[in-house]
Amino acid sequence: MAGEGEQMVKLVSSDQVEIPVERKVAERSMLIKNMIEDLGAPGEEPIPIMNVSEPVLRKVLEWCTHHKNDPAPTQDDDADSRKKTTDIEDWDQKFMQVDQEMLFEIILAANYMDIKALLDVGCKTVANMIKGKSPEEIRKTFNIQNDFTPEEEDQIRRENEWAEDR
Amino acid sequence: MSGRSTPQSPRKPGNKTTAGNRLSQQSALRGNDNVLASLRATQIIASKPVLPAELIATILDYLPVPDLLTCARVSRRVQEMVYDDTRWIHKLKTLRVWNEAEARQRVEEAMKRKAEAQRVREADEAKRTGVHLQGSVNGIAGGGVTLFDAGVEETRYKRSLEQQHPHLPPARKMLADGFDELAISPSSPTGNVWDAHQALTILTQVRSIRGRARQEFGKVYGTLAPLYLNLVRSKRHSDATVFRIFRDPDQQAKILAALKQFARCDDSGDWQDREQKLDTIIAVFETAVLREFEQGFAAGDIDGRMHRYAHVLATLNAGSAAVDFFVSHHPVMARQIQVGNPLDCLEAVAPGHVDLNPVQMFFENLANKMVEQAEVIDRVFPETIDVLTPFLSRMCEEIIAEYLTALIDDARGRGSETYVKAVAGSFEQGLRFVASLRSTKASPPDFHDKAQRILASCFERYFESYIAQELSVFNTKSTAEVTHWERELSEQEASKESFFMSNLNRQQAKRDFLSSFKKVVMMPVNVLPAFNASKASASKAPANPGVADTHDKESRTSSSTLDGPLGTQHPKPEAPTTELAAKAAIMNSRLEGIKSLFSIEVALSLTHLAKACIERMAPMVRMGPPYSEEVKEQCNVIFITMLGVLGDRHVKNGFDKAVGHLSTYNPREVRGVKARLEGDDTATGSGHGGVEPLVTFLELVNVGDLIQQMIDVFFAQELVATKLTEADDFLSPAVKQKKHFEQMLDERVAAGLNRGIDVLMDEIELICATTQSPTDFNPGATSSSSSNGAAPAMVDIGVSRTATEVVEMVNSHTSMLVGSTDKHMLDVFTQEVGLRLFAVLCKHFKRQRISVDGAIKFISDINHYSAFVANLRQKPLMPYFQALREMSQIYLVHIDPPATLFGNTSKAKRSSLLSSKGTKTAAQAKELATIIADSERYRGIFPSEEVYEFAERRADWYLVKAYVESALYGVGCSVM
Repeated sequence: MAGEGEQMVKLVSSDQVEIPVERKVAERSMLIKNMIEDLGAPGEEPIPIMNVSEPVLRKVLEWCTHHKNDPAPTQDDDADSRKKTTDIEDWDQKFMQVDQEMLFEIILAANYMDIKALLDVGCKTVANMIKGKSPEEIRKTFNIQNDFTPEEEDQIRRENEWAEDR
Repeated sequence: MSGRSTPQSPRKPGNKTTAGNRLSQQSALRGNDNVLASLRATQIIASKPVLPAELIATILDYLPVPDLLTCARVSRRVQEMVYDDTRWIHKLKTLRVWNEAEARQRVEEAMKRKAEAQRVREADEAKRTGVHLQGSVNGIAGGGVTLFDAGVEETRYKRSLEQQHPHLPPARKMLADGFDELAISPSSPTGNVWDAHQALTILTQVRSIRGRARQEFGKVYGTLAPLYLNLVRSKRHSDATVFRIFRDPDQQAKILAALKQFARCDDSGDWQDREQKLDTIIAVFETAVLREFEQGFAAGDIDGRMHRYAHVLATLNAGSAAVDFFVSHHPVMARQIQVGNPLDCLEAVAPGHVDLNPVQMFFENLANKMVEQAEVIDRVFPETIDVLTPFLSRMCEEIIAEYLTALIDDARGRGSETYVKAVAGSFEQGLRFVASLRSTKASPPDFHDKAQRILASCFERYFESYIAQELSVFNTKSTAEVTHWERELSEQEASKESFFMSNLNRQQAKRDFLSSFKKVVMMPVNVLPAFNASKASASKAPANPGVADTHDKESRTSSSTLDGPLGTQHPKPEAPTTELAAKAAIMNSRLEGIKSLFSIEVALSLTHLAKACIERMAPMVRMGPPYSEEVKEQCNVIFITMLGVLGDRHVKNGFDKAVGHLSTYNPREVRGVKARLEGDDTATGSGHGGVEPLVTFLELVNVGDLIQQMIDVFFAQELVATKLTEADDFLSPAVKQKKHFEQMLDERVAAGLNRGIDVLMDEIELICATTQSPTDFNPGATSSSSSNGAAPAMVDIGVSRTATEVVEMVNSHTSMLVGSTDKHMLDVFTQEVGLRLFAVLCKHFKRQRISVDGAIKFISDINHYSAFVANLRQKPLMPYFQALREMSQIYLVHIDPPATLFGNTSKAKRSSLLSSKGTKTAAQAKELATIIADSERYRGIFPSEEVYEFAERRADWYLVKAYVESALYGVGCSVM
């Protein structure tokens, strides 16, 4: 056996497609990492990724391959530094230039597979999409039904007039 | 509420779509801009995956405030997420205006009120059902109670919001309007007085209320965001609205500080750029203000410009720039004033000394400056800024440290003693300097502690080497002292020896054959020079162990031709001429020198040295935790070293030598000559009391005791009183060493006393042997042969001279010890003396011949002895002497000599003995026998055999022996 990094594991998407991938890449996902640790004999048993379809999984793995050498995320980054930038790396930005459905799928997959960095990138991308849009546009984007009466909506608008950007 | 189910349900089918299905979807997406796009889009929207709530919430975290509130209008569900109180509390927290304690208190108050209200309501509306209850809660909420309730259900919260609505919006409206106006016409600041004021104080007005965080944040945001955004968007700082609204630099500073704080919650988009921009503007503003401050400083305009701009800078960012400037431009700091020349202390003083006056001057100067500055600082700076502390620390770092470096480095070059004195001295002056500082209004309450710590940090780098030096200085000095003293002593000894010996040699060379002849012939006479009663005073000066006056009576040996090499200064000693005499003289002088074997002066100077060291180091304790421990340790080490040098090297050596000398002392020889001399010279004879070596030894013990007490006092005062060590801490090395020292002293004293007792007893024996004339106790016998002593008259029933002398001798020695050693030891000593005296006396009496007439004197002697012993107050001794007294009665018994004394043959004697059983002699003998046999009398001290031995010393024993024996054994028989 070669080094741990070059060890291969097999992932199985929800539509039963087997994807071999470097263990190091796969372990960007905390879900898979934990599973590998639990399984004991990695590489032989294919790991099922129940909720992710093949194209999405491939896309996620693409991201993982690119970021496989990133330093492990620190635990305390939540504390006071909630100063979250909406800045996204160029590569990630390009990576996220997919249709919205795929974007959401990636976010969901990142959430499910527990890849925090990817989830962050996804959320930031979505946040950037929302920026500057009207409520109606947002509703459209996110497929949300408007359950306000126009009066109610106006009321909320007035309530928060202080925040309106001038 | 309908939104709650929507995100999940479409998701599932989306997942389970087959690959083919998905492909078609994707192709449909790709053809988004087709003509049929709109048609397809509707289809797609239906199957579009919707993100779960927590993801939406996460996404919302990334949104800037305005977009966030736009989202609130999207749907109830999103609104709920946006309005979530924790989100706004977090924002307030990043602004550092959220007070958790306050919030908790409000919640508690609200709960209390709510509970109260509930009770009242229940009492009032007991009839109502639970359904109505719900409504009434809202009724109370409308009164403002639920405002504070963090745990309210969503609906109730919303409803209460709606109920508040009528009175809330107007305020906000007004606020918003104000800013609209502001944004539109920023050039008319007069119209915005209220807003301006609001903007200045808004951050301090935030209330920490759970459930109202969003509104509170809204107020802050509404007030500051326009200014903030305007500021960061403006091209030049003069364009910014803030600088137009606020003309007063004080207000400008305030608003800038507020904006700086506000910028913390700006966490979206290019916040870094914005913050940087803000920082730049603040920096520009600060520089401008600082320039004003500098001008004020240069002009000495303390209450005017300096005061004003210091306050402006303080508002802006705690005034660090102003403080920096103020501190670093002070004339003392800028080296415009020379405070003192460190080398003054070392010039024109004796080596090993440091003149601390310049140091004192230096620190006094600084202290004056500091006091002055404290006043200025009070006038210039607001009370929130502690300027004096940085000022002081800067001063320490630069001025004092520099001064010290120059001083101490130079001192180091001049020897370690100078070094330690310089360090300790300057540190103490430094402490005084700190004590004289006056704190400013803004200074923290522990200013003096802090100041001390700052000062201590100046000394830190000298500390290690200082304490090491201190120890080594003490070590070398004390060792040198003792060594010097020892050398002096041995030199003296040697010189004396050579003095005696050289005389001998020269004499020998002169009278070569004659002297050898003399040696042989005269030896018994001339063996020893007279032992002149030393009138040596109690002088403890080590320098002059009294030179023995040799009082050689032999005219042949008078060495008038010789002047001793040392002899000129002293009462001229006559050098002995024979080898033995010389040796005896040496020994004699040695014995006298015992008391100078160690000296209290050396001990005193050692303790002085240690005291100086420890006192120098003691202030260092105040340097702070890690150092004070070390100082304490080092002080203990010095104390231990002192004990080591003083005890093991000095006192122990001295004692050992003294004991050695004592054991070589042979009183018989000395006394033999002396007695002879006294027999010739002195009529009284018993005038002096003492075995010199013992006397001197006891003096030595006294000195040792004095030293020990000195150490005790020293320990208590220097180490315990100053809290350098704990007196009760038996583990402390200092205490241990002290115990060791005391033990050593006691041991030596005991050993010396043991030798001393030996010597004393020898002396007593000598007295007994030489002064007790045979006629003392047997006056009737050969009275013609007695040359001196008691008058031969029978009327003399006084104490014999021997007894007087012995008692005097012992008394003088025992009383000498009183108070010099500890009680226990003294008791042991006295008892030992008593017992040995008893033994010696017994031995002595057994050598005497005692007649019935002499018995009176004998008994009075014994009474004298026992009275003396009784004075010693040693219970265990009493029986011995009582027994002795009882025993003495055996001499009192008068036995008439048998008539047949001289006429009878032995045969006749025997027959008469047998026949005259009833005669007077026999009866008297029987009496005596009774006394002898009565062992009760002697309390077991004397067995009958020993009493019998005493009885044998009766003058008439041989005359009465037969009778007594017969009576004795007869009695024995009759008893049997």
